[in-house]
Amino acid sequence: MAVYIDINRCIGCRSCEVACQRVHGGHGHINVHYVGDYAAVPVLCHHCQEAGCTKVCFSGALHKEGEVTAFDVEKCTGCGLCALACPFGVVWTDKLAHKCDLCQGREQGPACMATCPANALSDDFELAARRARERAARAAAVGGRR
Amino acid sequence: MTKVLVPTVCPYCGAGCGFCIAVEKERASGIEYMPDHPVSQGALCAKGNAALEILCHPERLVSPLKRRGEGWVSISWPEAMDLVARGLSQAKKKHGPRSLAFLSSSKCSNEDNYLMQKLARLLGSPHIDNCARLCHSPSVVGLNRTLGAAGMTNPIPDIASSRCIFIIGSNLAENHPVISRWIHRAKDRGAAVIVADPRATPTSWMADIFLQLKPGTDVALLNGMAHVIIKEGLINRDYIDRSTRGFEALAEAVKEATAERTAEITGVAAEDIVQAARAYAKSPASSILYSMGITQHSTGTDNVQAVSNLALICGQLGRPGTGVMPLRGQNNVQGACDMGALAEFYPGYKKAADPKTIQYFSAAWSVHDLPLGPGLTATEMIEAAAAGTIKAMYIMGEDPANSDPCSENVRQALESLDFLVVQDIFMTATAQLADVVLPGAVWAEKEGSFTNTERRVQWSHKAIEPPGAARSDGEIICDVARSMGLQFDYPHAASVLDEINRTVPQYAGITRERLDAGSIAWPCPTADHPGTPILHCSGFNLADGKASIVPVAFRPAAEAASSDYPFILTTGRVAVHHNAGSMTRRSPSLISREPDLYVEMNREDAAALDVQDGDEVKITTIRGETAAIARLGDRVKKGVVFMPFHFPGTNILTTEITDQEARIPEFKVCACNISRRD
Repeated sequence: MAVYIDINRCIGCRSCEVACQRVHGGHGHINVHYVGDYAAVPVLCHHCQEAGCTKVCFSGALHKEGEVTAFDVEKCTGCGLCALACPFGVVWTDKLAHKCDLCQGREQGPACMATCPANALSDDFELAARRARERAARAAAVGGRR
Repeated sequence: MTKVLVPTVCPYCGAGCGFCIAVEKERASGIEYMPDHPVSQGALCAKGNAALEILCHPERLVSPLKRRGEGWVSISWPEAMDLVARGLSQAKKKHGPRSLAFLSSSKCSNEDNYLMQKLARLLGSPHIDNCARLCHSPSVVGLNRTLGAAGMTNPIPDIASSRCIFIIGSNLAENHPVISRWIHRAKDRGAAVIVADPRATPTSWMADIFLQLKPGTDVALLNGMAHVIIKEGLINRDYIDRSTRGFEALAEAVKEATAERTAEITGVAAEDIVQAARAYAKSPASSILYSMGITQHSTGTDNVQAVSNLALICGQLGRPGTGVMPLRGQNNVQGACDMGALAEFYPGYKKAADPKTIQYFSAAWSVHDLPLGPGLTATEMIEAAAAGTIKAMYIMGEDPANSDPCSENVRQALESLDFLVVQDIFMTATAQLADVVLPGAVWAEKEGSFTNTERRVQWSHKAIEPPGAARSDGEIICDVARSMGLQFDYPHAASVLDEINRTVPQYAGITRERLDAGSIAWPCPTADHPGTPILHCSGFNLADGKASIVPVAFRPAAEAASSDYPFILTTGRVAVHHNAGSMTRRSPSLISREPDLYVEMNREDAAALDVQDGDEVKITTIRGETAAIARLGDRVKKGVVFMPFHFPGTNILTTEITDQEARIPEFKVCACNISRRD
C-alpha cells in the first residue's frame, strides 16, 4: 500500500504537509511541489517495490515488509545513504532518517489522505485512472467537451 | 490516562468544518478528524490542521491590561471592569449615547454577538457593526433586495449535484479548500466549471472555461452574459413570469451589452463570454459561487445584484444544484449578521430604521428608549472617530488597524478616541492603541453556536480552560453590561441561545437540545421544523412572493491606472493565512510556509522594471508605501498586481472609497506604482 495522487484534483493547499507534520511531531514526510502556475503535486514515499533506500541501508533500518517500505528507528545509524539513494527525494536525515510511515499506529490510516480537502489522495491505485476514464466516457457520451 | 474527544467547529473560514479536540489532563493534545461531518467529511485545510497552535501560544493575552505611559500593566478583572465602565459612562454622559461605538466579531459565537449588540443598543447607541462590513455587506444589501434573504441559497454538499458551477471572484481552492471536494464531485458527474477572476489561481485550475477579466469589470461581464442569454432565447420564461418582477427593465438595460462590447471592457474574449453564458443558462442545474471578488468594490452591491439577475432570468434557484452562493470568509460572519451585529439591522434582519423593530425589541427586552438606526457602519465609525463625534469604542475580536483600508488613517482615528477598550486573544495592532485590553477566549475555550456560510448552525463545545485570567467573551460582555448597571443574567451560552430562540424568528426552532443531535440550517421557525437547507423553493420572502430583478449599469472602479500609478493592485487571501493574520502569523506551521508579504507581478511588467523573482520592491499609492518581495509569474495579466492582505503592509495602500450603499471599501482595485528598492 502507498498513498496515490490524483493530480487533477490537487489544489496545492498544503493541508497534507501541515497534517503530516502535526502527527509526526514536526517532521513532515510529504511536500507539495508547484508546476509553474498550473498544477501542484504532493510528493511522498512511493513505497517502491525495488526500494533504493532499503538496498543501501546496511543496518537494515529501512526494509520491505510486504508492500510497505518500513523503517526501524532503533537500527538507524543516521548515515544518510538512504537520502542519497532515494530517486524521489522523499527520505530525509535529521540525525536519524525519516520518511512516510503511512501513519503507522493511526487507526484511521494516513492523515494526509483523511485531511485532503480536494480528495486528491487515496490508497486506491486505480482511483485516479478510474475517474479519468469515467470523465472521458461521459464526455464521449455527450459528444465531446462542451 | 483518559482521552476525551470534544467536538468543535473550525475557527477559520466560513465553511464550518468540524473536528474533535483530543483533551488529556485538561490540555488539548491533538486533533481528530470528523469523517461524518456533513461539509468536511473529515477533511481539514492547512489552517484547520494548525488550529491548535494558537491555543497555548506564548503571546496569548492572559490578564487584563491597562495602559501606563508607553507600556502596559496587568490589572485585576474588577479594576478592568471599573475602568471600562468609567470610560464608556463618561463618554455617554458628556457626549450622549451616540458617541459610543461597538465592533462585534465574526470570529465569536452567535451568543457573544447577540450579547454585544444588545449591550450597544441597551446603552442607547445604534452604532454596532462587525467586519462583515468589509466582506459581505453588499450581499446583505443586494441579496435582501433581490431575493429577500441574505445567505447562501443552497448547502455546500448540494454543489455536487450542480451541472454547471460558475465561480466568480472567489479563490475557494485556497480560501475554502473543502468546497473544492464538492466541485470535483460535480465534475466527476459531468459538470462544467466556469471561473471568472483577474488572477489564475488553484480555483481556475478546476475550470473548463476561465474568464480572466480586468479587476472591477464584473458588472460588465455579468451584463454581457445576460445579454447573450436573452438574445439567444435561453431565458427561463416560465420562471421569470411566475417568480420575478423587473425582467423587461433588465432586458432594456443590457441591450447594448453585446459580447463584443463586453469583451472590450473586461478583456475577456467574446467567444468565451458566449460559451460561458450558454453553459450557465442551458444546464439543468447551475449554481453561482462568489466571494470578495464580487463584494469588495465600490460597485459591490451592483455586482451582487447582477449575480442575482443572472440566476433569476435562467431560473437557477430553489432546486438542488442551483443557487446563489456567497461564500463567507469567517467562521461566524453569517451568524454575527443574523444576530444583528450590523448597523442597519437588529437581530433577525429586522430593519433598525423601522419603528416597528424598536417596538418589537422593546417588548422582547422589556426596555424603552432603544435607539432607532441605522447606526454608523464599521468604516463610518472610524471616520466619525477621526471627526470627533465618536468618543469611545468597544472592539471585540477585530483588528481594524490592520484590516481596514488606508490603515494609517485608522490608526490616527483610534488614537484620537477618549476611550478605547479592545477585547482580543493577542496584542493586535488595534489593541496596541487601547486604554484597556481584555483577554478573551478562542473557540476551543468556550462553548456556543456558530453559523457557517450555508446558514448551518452548529454547536461548538468547550474543550479546555482559557489561559491565565482570560475569560470567555460572553462572560466579559455580561460583566461590562452589569458594571454599566444593566441586567445581563446569562449563566451560560445556552441561556443566551434560549433568548435568541425567542427573539430571532429564523432561529426559533434551533434550540440547544436539538443542536446536540446535529446541525440545522435557518430559517427554522419552530421546534419541530427540520430547517431549510435550500431557500426559495416556493417563492421569495418579498412582496407577492416574487424576486426582484434590479438592472445595474456598469460603472468603472473608483481608481484607474494613471501615468504616476500605472498598475492596478488587487488584494486577497492565500491558503495558509487568514484575514489580518493575527492568528495565522503566530502559527508556526503556517507562517513558515508563507513568511513574507509578497507582490505577484506579470513577468513582462517585472522585466520592464528590471525586477527579478524574489527582489524586494516598493509599492506606492497616493495613500502610502510598503515593501514586499516580488513574485513573478503568469498568474496576473500585464498591468495588474496582487498582494495578500494578511500582513500589515497591504492595507496601508488600499483605498477608503466605499460602495455607496453597503459601505464596503474597494479593497479589490486601487492604482499603484512599483519600483525597485535600491
